[in-house]
Amino acid sequence: MKKYAVIYRSVLMENLQYAVNIAFGFISYFIFIFVFICLWNYMYASPGELIAGYTKEQMIWYVMITEGMWFGTRSATVTRQAATDIRNGNIAYLMNKPYHYTLYVLTKYTAEWGIRLPMYAALSISMGLTMVGRLPGFRPISLLATVPVILLGITINAVFKLSISLISFWIEDSNPFQWLYDKMLLVIGTIFPVEIFPAALQPFFKLTPIYTVCYGPAKLVVDFSWEKFLEIVAAQMIYLAIGCGLMFFLYGKGVKKLHVNGG
Amino acid sequence: MNVIETENLSKTFRVKQKEKGIAGSMRAIFHPQIKEIPAVNRVSFSVEEGEALAFIGPNGAGKSTTIKMLTGILYPDGGRAEVLGMDPSRKRKPLACKIGTVFGQKEQLWTHLTPYDNFRFFGAIYDLSDKETESRIRELADIFDLNSFVNTPVRSLSLGQRIRCEIVASLIHRPRILFLDEPTIGLDPVVKENIRSLIRQMNKELHTTIFLTSHDIGDIEKLCKRIIIVNNGQIVLDNSMSHLKYHYLNRKILEVKQQEETAPPTAEGITVLKQKGSHIKLEVDTGVLRINDALRLINAEHVEDITISNIPLESIITEIYKSADAGI
Amino acid sequence: MLTAVKNQLRVCGLSVRYNIMREMLNRVTFLTNIGFMILNNATFIVQWIILFHLKEDIGGYHMSDVMLLWGLAASSYGLSRILFARAFALPGLIINGKLDAYLVQPKNVLLSVITSATNTSAIGDLIYGYLIVCLFCFSVSRLLLFTLFTITGTVIVTAFALLMGSLTFWFVRADAFGDNMINCLISFSTYPDGIFQGTARFLLYNIIPVGMAIYQPIHIMIEFDVRSLLTVLGYTILLSAIAILVFYRGLRRYSSSNLMEVRQ
Repeated sequence: MKKYAVIYRSVLMENLQYAVNIAFGFISYFIFIFVFICLWNYMYASPGELIAGYTKEQMIWYVMITEGMWFGTRSATVTRQAATDIRNGNIAYLMNKPYHYTLYVLTKYTAEWGIRLPMYAALSISMGLTMVGRLPGFRPISLLATVPVILLGITINAVFKLSISLISFWIEDSNPFQWLYDKMLLVIGTIFPVEIFPAALQPFFKLTPIYTVCYGPAKLVVDFSWEKFLEIVAAQMIYLAIGCGLMFFLYGKGVKKLHVNGG
Repeated sequence: MNVIETENLSKTFRVKQKEKGIAGSMRAIFHPQIKEIPAVNRVSFSVEEGEALAFIGPNGAGKSTTIKMLTGILYPDGGRAEVLGMDPSRKRKPLACKIGTVFGQKEQLWTHLTPYDNFRFFGAIYDLSDKETESRIRELADIFDLNSFVNTPVRSLSLGQRIRCEIVASLIHRPRILFLDEPTIGLDPVVKENIRSLIRQMNKELHTTIFLTSHDIGDIEKLCKRIIIVNNGQIVLDNSMSHLKYHYLNRKILEVKQQEETAPPTAEGITVLKQKGSHIKLEVDTGVLRINDALRLINAEHVEDITISNIPLESIITEIYKSADAGI
Repeated sequence: MLTAVKNQLRVCGLSVRYNIMREMLNRVTFLTNIGFMILNNATFIVQWIILFHLKEDIGGYHMSDVMLLWGLAASSYGLSRILFARAFALPGLIINGKLDAYLVQPKNVLLSVITSATNTSAIGDLIYGYLIVCLFCFSVSRLLLFTLFTITGTVIVTAFALLMGSLTFWFVRADAFGDNMINCLISFSTYPDGIFQGTARFLLYNIIPVGMAIYQPIHIMIEFDVRSLLTVLGYTILLSAIAILVFYRGLRRYSSSNLMEVRQ
């Protein structure tokens, strides 16, 4: 475990230098949220109106949290970098070290967002308070329960994205699959809460990882309840197990293929 | 006729200094420390048509900067340069039609196309008509022996063939001067030799003026009649290769292996470089002591093996660098 | 003069053709990239179905108008990245001294640089744009206008990318800034302009050129107006002139350069 801590620390140091770039990244986030504020201001005709059970403030905070999670954790490490390492054979050097390649990549990734995410969190909170207003019925104490759920959601997402990158053992370009996964996540769980979709579709969405990686964490922040919490954490555990299983399976298969066919 | 002339050509770079660590990076954002580095400092020389010139020096001596100024990529901030009667910084485009450039590892070919298609592309860049391009490709392919692979995609060629094509591509428009910046860097000896013969041929058969920068002594020895050595942005030597050899090669290395251990000969002009048992390595200054006189000092009866060699050009050049450094 | 232009266009044409040929080397990757980009864009239809389900009119747009908006944004951005992909990668080229290779060619540096790469998935964007027009709101005149505005949009988007990229000539760190500004352009260009009021509206018509690249053309396609059309054309010419000017200013700086940390 100690070696992963060292990997974490050195990547963290390296990334502090990119703080300026992160700050520029705020522009995109700010604009994205700004568009949604404009959109929902337009969609909500009267202040007290509810859409799919959400007030305007909740709706905007929801998208700020989900988007903040993606902007705050965006990195090529689990996606393009891993895929390129596999494609160009670089993985042979990374594999032979005394750590598990997938865990190495995940640790590296975690260190990267270790800086970005808090910065985005601070930005989201200040934007939310100044441009949207306080969340009705929000109790800061609930954050103790929701923050771990957010972090777990990010990790599950990373596991799935890395698994997609591992397909590169077999196909030339795994990027299109990444896009598709991202877009599913974006349209179904990020820009809207699941409740906005027709009731018939909702149970189906609950079965997808989307429910655990973005809807769940954001829902808990805007509208906390203990039953929801338990339900989402349980779902996250199941998905973490499935995701890791998939990741180790693909990696094992891929490495075996590499040993048989060469790089 | 001079095809290249420079007079006090100078270029200074302003480089931001950065202190170590995160605190240093932070300070550098607000108070950048700027250091001026004279990359090329009052350099004057001229090159005649048809010459093959080696422009050499250690890393950061100003070789590439000079080439960039002569080709119009960089503007000088002092002095004057004239290439084929044009000021490169003002007449970049017309000049580009008359010169060729090969920048070491930077590849200009499209790897998915055949050399033939690549040459056609470069023909279009240099405004050649299809007919001209065709005949030029035929001509070059014959001279440089490309016919066996001119229709194979570049990515399937060997490294050597690929670099040959790279150089030939820069000849498509009949340049009068070819600038080569480290053309053999990172290549294996066989490929190097291959490239050198191509450059030699080009100089001889097409009368292209060659302006070459390199670290590689082999390039220089085999290709160039004239050598300019630069160090710290200044010319430290500008002379013919034969002059260089004559003046710096007046020392010979004499290696003798004898049957039994004997004392090395002593005389003025002999320096003992190494002695290990019956093996002696001497340096003979032929200006002081003729080599046959030196040989006479060795007891021929005991000699098992003997070698006489020149001091390698590499060490001569290192010596020149060092003496130039010491002179500053 | 005329032959110079002809020769220049011939080189650009070859460049783009060879770029696409390179991408097509691997058929499967080429086709999946295009196909998935189309699919990718299509997922946003879901977003708009949901939104229009909540309200019939969003910022003065109906479903078909938003589709048209999406189509134009996709085709403009797509065509720009098919033909001029390198305009979006300018900072890297500047920082790493990669412009040298183009400076020793007797051709227009700007055109040689920006046409020197292509982006496969952008072909998907372009196809998507035309699919949308043909499926949701087809008419011959609209198709012609759409093509015209795809071209103006391409020029505006490219000019904007060029402007942002050229900042790197002066500030090395501008690369991240430029990327984000281009992202902004994309974010705004897929939402109805009616939802933006006040300052935002001003910015969209002045700082980030979405107004003239996308919104105004949509209004013209919905209701034709010669004056607006001329404004769009004028703006296109003006912005590209500024971008070209700035690029060459920067190039002069590159050539007398202080960006030499990496380049030496």
